[in-house]
Amino acid sequence: MITVFVEPDNETHTFERHNTVLMLQKRLGLRVNDALIIRGGTLLTPDDRLIDGDEIRVRKVISRG
Amino acid sequence: MKCRKCKAPAEIPLPSHNTAFCRDCFAAYFTGQVEKAIRRHGLINPGERVLVALSGGKDSLSLMLELSRLGYDVTGLHVDLGIPASSPAARAKVAGFCELHGLKLRVVELIKEGLPIPDVKRYINRPICSACGKIKRHWFNRVALEDGFQVLATGHNLDDEVARLFANTLRWDAGYLSDQGPCLNAENGFARKIKPLYRLSEFETACYAFLNGIEIHSAPCPYSGKASFTGHKRLWADLEHQSPGSKISFYDGFLKRGRPAFAQVELEAGVTLAPCESCGSPTSTGICGVCRLGIAVRERRAADPERQ
Repeated sequence: MITVFVEPDNETHTFERHNTVLMLQKRLGLRVNDALIIRGGTLLTPDDRLIDGDEIRVRKVISRG
Repeated sequence: MKCRKCKAPAEIPLPSHNTAFCRDCFAAYFTGQVEKAIRRHGLINPGERVLVALSGGKDSLSLMLELSRLGYDVTGLHVDLGIPASSPAARAKVAGFCELHGLKLRVVELIKEGLPIPDVKRYINRPICSACGKIKRHWFNRVALEDGFQVLATGHNLDDEVARLFANTLRWDAGYLSDQGPCLNAENGFARKIKPLYRLSEFETACYAFLNGIEIHSAPCPYSGKASFTGHKRLWADLEHQSPGSKISFYDGFLKRGRPAFAQVELEAGVTLAPCESCGSPTSTGICGVCRLGIAVRERRAADPERQ
């Protein structure tokens, strides 16, 4: 199980399985530079693998005025 | 994914540059882009005092930190908009950031100035984002001039600039197209305005803020739901995804080949500015737009039975 917290929407999703960050981004409808993908204190790149128990923070970057 | 420079595991993928960086090499890249902007457009001269407009977002706080690390004499300016749902949180982030890094901060409170944004929204029949932007720019310039700053810096990034240029182009707004760019020289009662982050994308400034532990105010303004720039940014994100490098190419091309032509048109049209009769800010209409807003808000507030 992977838990994903999306900012600034304050939404939480849980997914059974995603092999890579790229798959997660596609599932959320995000392109590579639309959001920071954060695990702990580290930024992830699209090819990084996700593992069971991961808690991922997705921080969208488009500012709104 | 490996860092292009040192081959360590990468953290920051940058498809627009067909590259990726580890955090240390990204820091050097980020600094290099800011230095390149300053050098190429003569944004800051040695010894000049720089006033940095701080909203509490990732761009302005990142700009403040980077300019201070580069050794510039920077002071932050935060305009407290007086919006109950968002202003206290934004101001707290700015104050906490400046205290943490030992940076100077000046705050203008629109409630004390008689022009809080909720009142502008309530009493003035025009798009609130337009009026709010006008009021903020007024205070940025006024504080810069009154307190002796030579330069006013804002955290506009490449995405902001491309979205704005796109909007101005859709309207063929010659006035705005004549002077949009990373440097607007001081003249006619305006301080020099600079945008040192114009070569860096929103993603890159977000990475910088995260990697430097900057706590940002990320909640959207409660009044900005229909901001057209957000839609334009999405369009450009699609274009950049299909054709990496489109944004900087569009913007740099405008600076080299578009802006000079529009500047010539504006020079021939010639608008004469004089100090506002009320506050001294430059205006072409006797009393400046912000003072006129203030007068209208005061009158309508006084006539509002709910505010008696």
